[in-house]
Amino acid sequence: MAANLLTIEGLRAGVAGKEILKGLNLTINEGEVHVLLGPNGSGKSTLMNLIMGHPKYTRLAGKMSFAGEDLTALPTFERARRGIFLSFQTPEEIPGITVENMLRTAKQAITGQKVKILAFKKQLAAAMAKLSMDESYAERYMNVGFSGGEKKRNEILQLLLLEPKLALLDETDSGLDVDAVQIVSRGVSAFHNETNACLIITHNARILSELKVDCVHVLMDGQIIEEGGAELIDEINRHGFAHLLDGAAK
Amino acid sequence: MAKKKTFIEDIERTLYDIKNEDRPVYKTKQGLTEEIIRDISAKKHDPDWMLAFRLHSLDVYNHTPLPVWGPDLSELDMDRIVTYVKPDAKMAGRWEDVPEDIKDTFDRLGIPEAEKTSLAGVGAQYDSEVVYHSIQESLTRQGVIYTDMETALVEHEDLVREYFMKLVPPKDHKFVALHGAVWSGGSFVYVPAGVQVKIPLQSYFRLNSPGAGQFEHTLIIVEKGASLHFIEGCSAPKYNVTNLHAGCVELYVKEGARLRYSTIENWSRNMMNLNTKRALVEKDGLIEWVSGSFGSHVSMLYPCSILHGENARCEFTGVTFAGHGQHLDTGATVVHAAPHTSANINTRTISKDGGIAVYRSAVKVAPGADHAKCSVNCESLMLDDRSRSDTLPVMDIQGDEADIGHEARIGRISDEAVYYLTTRGISEDEARAMIVRGFVEPIAKALPLEYAVEMNNLINIELEGAMG
Amino acid sequence: MAAEVVKEEVYSTIPMRTWRWLGVNEARVASSILAAAQERRIRVPAGEKHTVVLVYRDELAAHVQAELAAGAELQLIKVQLAEDGVRRADTIEVQCSEGAKLSYTAVEAGAGVSTTKLLVALNGDKSEADVAALYFGDRKRRIDMNYIIRQAGRDTRANMQIHGALAGESDKIFRGTLDFIRGAKGSTGREKEEVVLLSPKVRNRSVPLMLSGEDDVDGHHAVSVGRMDENKLYYLMSRGLNLSEAERLVVEAALAPVLVRIPDAQLAAEVREHIEGRLSHV
Repeated sequence: MAANLLTIEGLRAGVAGKEILKGLNLTINEGEVHVLLGPNGSGKSTLMNLIMGHPKYTRLAGKMSFAGEDLTALPTFERARRGIFLSFQTPEEIPGITVENMLRTAKQAITGQKVKILAFKKQLAAAMAKLSMDESYAERYMNVGFSGGEKKRNEILQLLLLEPKLALLDETDSGLDVDAVQIVSRGVSAFHNETNACLIITHNARILSELKVDCVHVLMDGQIIEEGGAELIDEINRHGFAHLLDGAAK
Repeated sequence: MAKKKTFIEDIERTLYDIKNEDRPVYKTKQGLTEEIIRDISAKKHDPDWMLAFRLHSLDVYNHTPLPVWGPDLSELDMDRIVTYVKPDAKMAGRWEDVPEDIKDTFDRLGIPEAEKTSLAGVGAQYDSEVVYHSIQESLTRQGVIYTDMETALVEHEDLVREYFMKLVPPKDHKFVALHGAVWSGGSFVYVPAGVQVKIPLQSYFRLNSPGAGQFEHTLIIVEKGASLHFIEGCSAPKYNVTNLHAGCVELYVKEGARLRYSTIENWSRNMMNLNTKRALVEKDGLIEWVSGSFGSHVSMLYPCSILHGENARCEFTGVTFAGHGQHLDTGATVVHAAPHTSANINTRTISKDGGIAVYRSAVKVAPGADHAKCSVNCESLMLDDRSRSDTLPVMDIQGDEADIGHEARIGRISDEAVYYLTTRGISEDEARAMIVRGFVEPIAKALPLEYAVEMNNLINIELEGAMG
Repeated sequence: MAAEVVKEEVYSTIPMRTWRWLGVNEARVASSILAAAQERRIRVPAGEKHTVVLVYRDELAAHVQAELAAGAELQLIKVQLAEDGVRRADTIEVQCSEGAKLSYTAVEAGAGVSTTKLLVALNGDKSEADVAALYFGDRKRRIDMNYIIRQAGRDTRANMQIHGALAGESDKIFRGTLDFIRGAKGSTGREKEEVVLLSPKVRNRSVPLMLSGEDDVDGHHAVSVGRMDENKLYYLMSRGLNLSEAERLVVEAALAPVLVRIPDAQLAAEVREHIEGRLSHV
């Protein structure tokens, strides 16, 4: 039986007085790939940001635990150090801090060990090569002047170097051309193994081409209304979300 | 020297306006007397013309009121300055008297023992003899002159006389006049035509004249086609019992020459830092200012670049960090006085914990300075709501075909940026520090590595107060 | 023959002084003009929307004070089209309560000497000020403007857009201050001045001030002075206009965003003709 990574029970949460998640249950174990589908505004990004501990979201009820540890009291950076990683939909620009500098600092923070600069540079170069990123990106300021695609690749680069246990990917494939999607997809696939897990938000599922999907959750209006296997994705692509609601109503 | 007279007149017309001020002239109980000045001059073995110059400056000083704008200077104890500048004043204090936080910072910055006592003005002057002398040899071979001002006055009198306080005359303002009367110490650099000085010269080596540098005069002449990088100051806090620093820096950049003038100023928290720096740039010349202002209680610092020859250029990069109890009023001025001149001013200010950071600038395009191009960019970061950040830029444009742009931003550290870094395992405090370091990156980049490292250390130390 | 000495007094000052030699610390006006100032009070009650159009042509000083109650909206238009020899001094002060909105549009296209001051106090939370002004100087006109928006309430919004063109030997000073008072959390302030210079003999002074005692604000100001967009000129010339005609059109286009805010079509047309007429003599 694979070890449990993430357990969410009865989660209700919102932002600025508005309730977005209205009672959500989710379990993710090691080695699994979960997909989160749903129309815009259903609360997918909110869920990911809640797992990550974004200060602006408030948990109203329910529990979240990671590897048996209650997440509630942990600030974001502690959650990252426990092994949770979030790939953002629109990554922030941090002027003045190079990609290399930021990644090295993060690696050090997460592992709690001093990172040897030369060894790290080699690791970085290898990962960048895997993602077909030109080595000049290492010295560029974090996401400053990066195109959408370049920002997303930068997120996956961080995924590969920081080696988290749970990767939350928020629409990492949106806005990318065919080649870029393939690169990102391969990157995620290279990351994934039987000791870690992925929760992926996607609209067109292209990122899933190299992954074996274990469970698909459909989120609507703050609640998971349907769960199933990979075939759910095709069904929604063909008939849309409304179809599911009709089904649920029946 | 007909040509020099002309440019001084030009400058006078644009810069000086010594009409009757509203405020009364500040009088000290024991005013700086002629006797004191003569005494100083005699002890220094000044040539006659320098004595005359000092006396003239004293006269201007006594008739000039304090500026009517800017930080409050009423704390300035002019009496102590009087007693201080007397040549028989005892400079050496005791290490025990040096404030704890100064000693602390020395330790944090890893300053060696001998330097500590020198910087604190209580020990023998630190003389990095070996390094200093080896640099001297390679410079001499190239014909470069690098000495202290007193020596220059003796060994290169004509050269000094031609340039000394012509670019910044005593009537500029009260503290320049004071400087003209009591100046002591500082660096003199002369780079002959065509010589590229490869290693940066550091004023740090020159801490070997009495007066501990608070009225020091720096005079640098870079002849046609030559180039030099000069670094003034260091990140260690310079402690001084007397709390006034009224220095003066004059930079002459001749045709096609290039001068980079880097400074990290970190005067101790009791200091009033009233420094006047000016560069005169001739045809095709370039002046680059790199300036980091961290310490002092009050600072008034506006390096001025006069683009006097066609195609003359100025690049200014600066950062000012005003923390608790500090009022740092800094900026830059550029005067476009010839056609096709261009300037780029890029500054960052940070204020926290009740500090006041003021950015003040002036871009003046004189009539006839056609096709002037100038871009000013100022970003201000506020770390809390107890501090102040004020931006006061002025553009005065008269030339034809001018292309002038200015932009300024004010705000705080982005919550989203902090969150992003925390999702990568970096603690909130460290995330903020990273963002602030990123904010001052453009300045760090322009400094030699060890200075950039020191500057970052300084920032870390400064930030600890706010975050902790 | 001694020159006539006109007794002047300080009319307005910028919130923070700077080097005297720049001559922007204060604006002075002939005392004789201020002697007979026209006073006007505008009060907009809670929740109401008013529009007030002021047209100035005479040699006078005007002092307008407006108070906007909670949720009130005021659209205030000021057009100054006085003759060359006229001197004008106008002050407009607006106090905004919670949720109040001010839309202010000014045209400074006339008079030999025009000195104006605008002070908007966004006292109440969520109050807003949207300020747009146009100035046009030619011959020997002197234009002096001192605009200040003080943001004291939380979540206030300020926007200042200034468009101008200077020709002949005109002399203009524009001071625009965004002042964030401590406590104005969540407020945004924007200021932009764009000036086109049409002659080598003009004097343009711009002073965009930004003062802040509050960290939780978002302030941005920009000034751009100088040439016209060469791409635009080229495009127009490729359609048959000569350089002067193209330049004139580009200037009109630059001033258009302000003109479009004048609700009275006839007045707007008068302003447009006035400026076009002057432009053709530039």
